[in-house]
Parts: sequence; structure tokens; C-alpha cells
Amino acid sequence: MDKKTVCIKIIAVILVVACMATAGYLFWEHRNYKEPVVLGDGVTEVKKLSEYSDVVKGTINDCNVYIMDSGVEGGTMLVFARTHPEEPTGPMVTNLMIENMKVTKGKVIIINSLNTSGTTYTRNGEAYPRYFTYETDWGVKKWRYGDRTASPLDSWPDPEVYLHYPSGQSLAYMDIRNANRNWPGKEGGLLTERTAYAVMQLIEQEGVDLSLDLHEAELEYAVENTIVAHQRGSDVAAMASMTLTAYTFDVPVTSEISPTALHGLCHREVGDFSDCIPFLVEVAEPMLDRIRGITDEQLLMSGKDVFVIEAGKHGLLYAPIDENGWPIEKRVARHLSVTTSLMDFFGQLHPESVITVEGLPAYEDLLQGLGSYYHDPSTVDPSRIAYD
Amino acid sequence: MTMFHHALAVLAVIVVVFAIAKKCKVSTELSLLLGSIGAIIAHLLVPMGVDPRSPLPFTEIIRHFVEGTFTYFDVCLTFLTATFFMTLYKEAGGVSYMVRLIVSKFYKHRFVCLLLLMIVMLIPGAVTGSGATTVLTVGGLVGAVLTAMGMKEDRRVALIFLLAAMSAACPPINLWAMMAAAGANMPYVGFTYPLAILSIAGALFATFYLTRGLKNDRPMEEVLQTLPEAPEGWNMLRALVPFIVMIVLIVGARIFPKVWPVVGLPMIFIFSAIAVLICSPKKVKIFQVACTVVVNLKELVGIMMVVGILNQIMTLTGARGLLSLAVVVLPIWLLFAALWLILPVSEGVLQYAVAPLFGVPLIMLFNMLGYNPVIALSTWAVMWPVGDCLPPTAVVGRAAVLELDYKGDYYKGFVKNALIPMLFVLAICTIAMIFNKPFGNFLGV
Repeated sequence: MDKKTVCIKIIAVILVVACMATAGYLFWEHRNYKEPVVLGDGVTEVKKLSEYSDVVKGTINDCNVYIMDSGVEGGTMLVFARTHPEEPTGPMVTNLMIENMKVTKGKVIIINSLNTSGTTYTRNGEAYPRYFTYETDWGVKKWRYGDRTASPLDSWPDPEVYLHYPSGQSLAYMDIRNANRNWPGKEGGLLTERTAYAVMQLIEQEGVDLSLDLHEAELEYAVENTIVAHQRGSDVAAMASMTLTAYTFDVPVTSEISPTALHGLCHREVGDFSDCIPFLVEVAEPMLDRIRGITDEQLLMSGKDVFVIEAGKHGLLYAPIDENGWPIEKRVARHLSVTTSLMDFFGQLHPESVITVEGLPAYEDLLQGLGSYYHDPSTVDPSRIAYD
Repeated sequence: MTMFHHALAVLAVIVVVFAIAKKCKVSTELSLLLGSIGAIIAHLLVPMGVDPRSPLPFTEIIRHFVEGTFTYFDVCLTFLTATFFMTLYKEAGGVSYMVRLIVSKFYKHRFVCLLLLMIVMLIPGAVTGSGATTVLTVGGLVGAVLTAMGMKEDRRVALIFLLAAMSAACPPINLWAMMAAAGANMPYVGFTYPLAILSIAGALFATFYLTRGLKNDRPMEEVLQTLPEAPEGWNMLRALVPFIVMIVLIVGARIFPKVWPVVGLPMIFIFSAIAVLICSPKKVKIFQVACTVVVNLKELVGIMMVVGILNQIMTLTGARGLLSLAVVVLPIWLLFAALWLILPVSEGVLQYAVAPLFGVPLIMLFNMLGYNPVIALSTWAVMWPVGDCLPPTAVVGRAAVLELDYKGDYYKGFVKNALIPMLFVLAICTIAMIFNKPFGNFLGV
């Protein structure tokens, strides 16, 4: 080997090591960033998921479970976010509820980060930002942005094909790490199967009457701006959808019944394997469209993308979009409205399971900005801060 | 300047930098890396349109480059371990033993022999979803039998490539269909029959088209004399045990999913390699074999890493979105007429990344237009692997050349011979796509 080649090789090795060290630090920082959650007056207890089933004990998915108990007999609702950690509206809604909501009848249980593992890395090839942030009155509030599935660092390798338990339905191999393809879970399964199993135990032990899984979807996808309900909850979903469409939303929210032939989805399996009535809500997120343009945090939060708008002009989308995009304020406002609406109508149709809450902002208020609803953790008693 | 112009400028820079680098005789892997670096520089310099954009610090650019290299991490591990397994088997004399066995049993029964070889080639890709794995595991063995049968070098490597491509398309595991189905929230259900019909038809045509005129009129003893001797001590049981280990570990997970642990393909190949060491009557230098494997595969692994970077940077800059948008806004008649060309060519550029890139928006488009999405996706998932011999990546084509130690001209020899069967596969897939509804009704999909 001549001197020149040796020199080139040494320089190449130094460059590669420098890049690996830089990226390695950023990966480490992302994986270890803790999100402070200010516990509002309504939070009566913070548990760990492993208190309901130890199958997740010691794993990254042993997430916080925020209990908001009024002490007054009524229904119990479970609201969970980050089943898919690439959908930021969910945790922004649940954070807002934890910090501001007070339950006056019944109980609300919140999980901010169901698939925590998926929040600790971003999907290879998708060029996602590592964090998403929101400007508040006291500074910037920051969340980890993640992948659709759990991190391979926590659940690896994948099988060649994923066979859902217990139905045996074939799904793509990576869906074994997809927290919304594993319900009702498997006690001795892989990470997300165990996570779903533990949540099913929570549902049973807490006597949860209804659950809501907060999602976002690409505009090219047919299941968009909709409430998907188990057939036992179709009446509640229909009433919420009609009311919100008629009186509140500019873009309608529809309702549909969970297909019986598709397995692993929460709105199917939670309803089939427990007494709880499950719902799932979707709102448009242009960042998830494959036809999107420049990928950055701006797109994630503003929901503005000219490529997606162009696809809309060709009639290729299931949701309208214009130069105003789908801003995060609108997405959060819609999800929060659906959450409270489902709570209300569930209580009307199931009088023994009434849940009433106060302290949440109205739809129009949220459209003006979310910053004032997140509180400064540095000014709060440390015992009233939890970390996700 | 709009984001359209921005993304177009980035794409143009990638193409120009790649072309200049190739002209300067830089390797394909480094040329693609330089193209990616050019793309990010263009992204920083060219205005991005009217909407505000987030800052992109230098450290984040580095992070995107490194993150991209991991896109095909599992695929690379599979390549390395599968090749390690088969190289150990070859070094131990197992391949020589198997080739002599097949030739002595089936040499005079050409039709049966070819059919068996085709099945042997289809199995590894069908259960792993990787054409390169097929080439790297059984390609050398089948190639040696074809040599013994008197098949010419150009046609031999063409056939190995085509069977490997069809094996990757063959059910139960078709990674393109899986990735696109997962992206479109479809279960991986209903694909077995359409994928099987299209891929097996393609494999049969390739096998008998490329072996046409093959005469096995030499005496068998003369043929056997030309083959390397297997070391003493090999027998049928010893020769089959490593493959039995591999098949049991793969199939077991399908039959007993509730109790069978998830092992993963790389570990399955390592277990099979251990079985080779246990069964081999001859001592094999493991470290030397491992080093040889890494040296031989460095270009293949390198290209997968660089394609991962390119894909990540194209996504970051909007270039990937522009390509994806350009395809889905085509009039439907043009899509039917052009997908047979677009899909293999895009596979040659981006490998498996094309499934989410084009597959997902196309499924949603076809679904919206009322076509049968399962049939449509199946036809694309058989067309994609045909492009695995095309530049700049040509992963399976390069693996076939490497494994068969092909010395001829890549395009004028190998690709030219593979062209007719490739066109046949693309034609039947296009016909199935056009008649997706009656085809779907016929198959009950």
C-alpha cells in the first residue's frame, strides 16, 4: 500500500469516527431526554404500568399512568397517546389534560407515552427531527419525536413475518413493534405485545368503561379525521361526530365502526377482550404523507406542505388542505374536543358511567395558541413533576 | 423559487455529482455518497420556498448521514451471516459433495433436474424475502450444477439472478409487499396466490428459456471428473443437517408462533454455520472464512449503507417527495403503461426504500380509484426485484457475479441474456395489474 493510500485511509477513518461520535452523542441525548410533566391539581396519583402487570417491569415501556380521580362515583375513562410516537398531537393533548383538567365525577386515567421505546429514536430513512417544541409564555416546551414502532434497541430482532396473537393473522414483520397491532397483547411476547397485555390488565383492574387512543394520519389515507369505534360504541361515536361536525369543526369528523376482520387494533381487540368500549381518533398530519416535501419540525407543527397541497389538487387526498395547512393548534383542539365529547355522550348513553371534568380550554381558545396551557416546571414544587 | 424548484435542483445536483464522479472512475458507492453530500449542500444553498423552515445545524446533518447508514442494517447482517454460512459449507466441501450428488442422480433427467434446481433457488428468498440471500446461500451450488450441465457463463449468471429475483418475490415473505402494506395499514393477507402465480411463472419461464438448447450428452463420468472431489467423510445426513437446522428454525416460527422464540435471520444463519462446523469431516479455518466473507461483501454492504444515506438525504431535502408526487399524479393510463419501467429502475436506485416511497402512495391511489389493492401491490412487488440487476446499486446482480465468479461483460453478457425473461415478468405483471379486478375475483382476493 503506498503512502498516499495510507493517508487517505487514515483521514477516512478519522472522519468516520468523528461522524459516529457526533451522531452517537445526539442519539444518546435523544434516548435519554426526560420530558417534565407538571402535575395539575386534578392528578391524584402517578403509577407505573408495571403496577398492573409486571411483564413490563424493568423495560423502557414501563410508562407513567396518571390517575385523575374525583372520588365521586362514576365512570372510568382511559386516554392514551404515543401508541405511534411519530404523531405529536396525542402527547400534547394528554399533557394539556394532566396539567389543567380536574375531574369532578368519575375517574380519568392518562398515559402520555404508551410506546415509550418508539419515542427514543427516529425512523431510519424518514429524516425526522429528534424533538418537537412549542413556544409557551415561560419558554420552549420540548417533547421527543419518535418512530411509528418501538426501537430495535429494545425489541430486536423482528420475525420474518409477524403472526398476531391470538388471531394468527399475518402482518408485516415490523408490525411486531407497532403498539397498535399487538392488542390484546401477549404475556410472554415481545416488548409491544407485553405493553398491550399490561394495558389490558390496567383496563380490567381499574374497571375502565371507555378508552380513547389518540392518533394522526397522512392525508392520503382513507381513515382520516374520524372516530373509529368498536361496534358497542358506535352510537357514542356517531353522536360525538355529528355534534362536533355541526357546531364546532370546520372540517367534519366522521365516525366508523372497527372492521371485524382486521386484528391487533385497539378499537377491535380491547372491545372484544374486555368490557371496555374502545375508541380511536384520527386527525390529519401532512408530515406522515410520503409525498411530503422538505422534512423538518416546521412541517410537523404547521402541517403546511406544497407537495401535499398539489396532491390535493389532483384529488388524491381524503382531507382538505390549503396554504394554511393543518397547524398543531387545530389538531390539538380537535382531539381535545373529541375526547370531552365522547366523555359527555358516553355518560348520556350509560348513566351509570358518567364522567365530568372542568378546567379544559374550549376549541376556539386552543386555536389561538396552546402556550398558556403548559406550565413552567422550574416554578413548580418538584414533587408535582413527573418525567416521561 | 418554490419548494418544487428546490427539490428539483437537489435532484439535479445528485445526478450531476454522481455522473461526474463515475466519469472520474470513482466507485459507485463513493459516487452515491458524493451525490448525497452534493444534495445537502444544494439544500442549504438553494431557497426552499415561501414557508418558513427549521434551522438545520451541522451536527444534525451528520446525524442524518449516520442514521441513513442504518436503514438496511438487518439486511446487511443477513447478507454477512448467510454468506458466512455458505462459505463455511463450501470450504468444508459440502457444496462439492452436494453438486456431485445432484449431478450423479439427475444429470440424465434434464427437466426434473432443472425443476429441482429452480425450487432450491426459490426457497431461501421465499422465506427470507432477499434475493441476495438466495444467491449467497444456494447460488454458488446451483451455479456449479449448471456449469456441470454445460450451461454457458452468461446465461448461467442471468438465470441465477432471475431465480433469485423471483425467489425474493415469491411468498410467503415479500419484503416490498410487506413494507408497502404496513405503510398503508393493510394486513399482509391475500398476497400468497397472486405473488406465487406471478413469481413462479417468471421463474419457470426464465429457467426453460435460458436453458433452451442445453445438451447433456456428455457421459456422466466425464462430467463428474470435471467436478471437484468432496473431502472424505461427507454423507447425505451430514450434508443436509445445516439446511435442516435453517429450515426448522424458519418454519418453526410459523408453525408454533405462540411458543417459538423470535431468533432472527442472522442468528438462524449463525446456527446453521455452527451445524456446518459440527457436521464437517474436515477442519475449517473459521476466522479466515469470516475475513474472506467481509472482504468479498464490502461493496455489497457499502452500497446498502450509502443507499440508506441517499434515501435519508432525499427525504430531508424534499427530493424523495417530489419523485413520489411525480408518480402518483400521472394519469392512470400512463401509470399502467409506465410502471413496468418506473418500478425496476427505482429499485435499482433505492432498493427496498421504493416500497414505502412509491408503493404506499400508489396503493392509496389504486384503493381510491376502486382497483384491487392486493393484486396491484402483488404485481408491483414482483416487478421491483427485477430491477435488482440495474445500476447504480445492482445488489443481486452484483452478488450473482461475485458468487459465480463471472468474468464476462456485465451488460453485454449477463444483463442482455436476462432481458427477455425480465420483460416476460414485467409483461405478465402489467397484464395482471390491468386486469386486477377479474384476477382478484378469480383468486378470491
